Amino acid sequence: MSEKRTFARSIGSLEDIFSFLSEFFQRENLGEGPVFAFNFVVEELFTNMVKYNIGSGGISIEIRRRGAQLLLDLVDEHVDPFDIANAPEKDTSLPVEEREPGGLGLQLVKSMVDKIAYEYRNRTMTISVAKYLEHENV
Amino acid sequence: MFEISRKDNGDVELKGRLDASQEGKAREVLDHLSESGTIDFRELQYISSAGLGVLLAAQKRLMGTGHRLRIANMNTHIREIFEMAGFHQIFDLD
Repeated sequence: MSEKRTFARSIGSLEDIFSFLSEFFQRENLGEGPVFAFNFVVEELFTNMVKYNIGSGGISIEIRRRGAQLLLDLVDEHVDPFDIANAPEKDTSLPVEEREPGGLGLQLVKSMVDKIAYEYRNRTMTISVAKYLEHENV
Repeated sequence: MFEISRKDNGDVELKGRLDASQEGKAREVLDHLSESGTIDFRELQYISSAGLGVLLAAQKRLMGTGHRLRIANMNTHIREIFEMAGFHQIFDLD
């Protein structure tokens, strides 16, 4: 079963987004690990769209389970392209004096999921994510 | 829900969920630390990159004056995020 909802383009929507995700996670009886990871992934992708996409409409989030996979789509309409796959990588091994805050979220997302895809068509940006559940959550 | 408070000994305590909507609230306290100390994560359930950024900024500023933050009692999920971000090399973790 999938859940889909559209949220206002605002960081203030995060509370509603976490509630939306929580309902899905409870119904699917998922453990703490994937719940934490998917909260993180959704927050980073959503806030990235809020910060960098210039648009006026809402951002829709759809989450569903297919066997041992959790699938997620974020869709933002009427915006300019920004390919997250080409976002610059941060060097996480640098000493503290050479590190700058910011830019870390997308990099962490990429390392937390099994697949992430970006599509831009007719001024609509879609980011799709897949993550396999560990054995104890299947 | 997110709360940040100073203990009597000057250490900082975080509770709840530190997401991007709570970044400013965390910054109000962490930007004013002026000495080495411990940040207690015992009741912190969740953190995103926004929270990591605030912590990094505080650590950089303090290390410039010879001080350093230590982080105690983090849960396993937050520890994984810290390790992926390389923050285990920037903060002393208990």
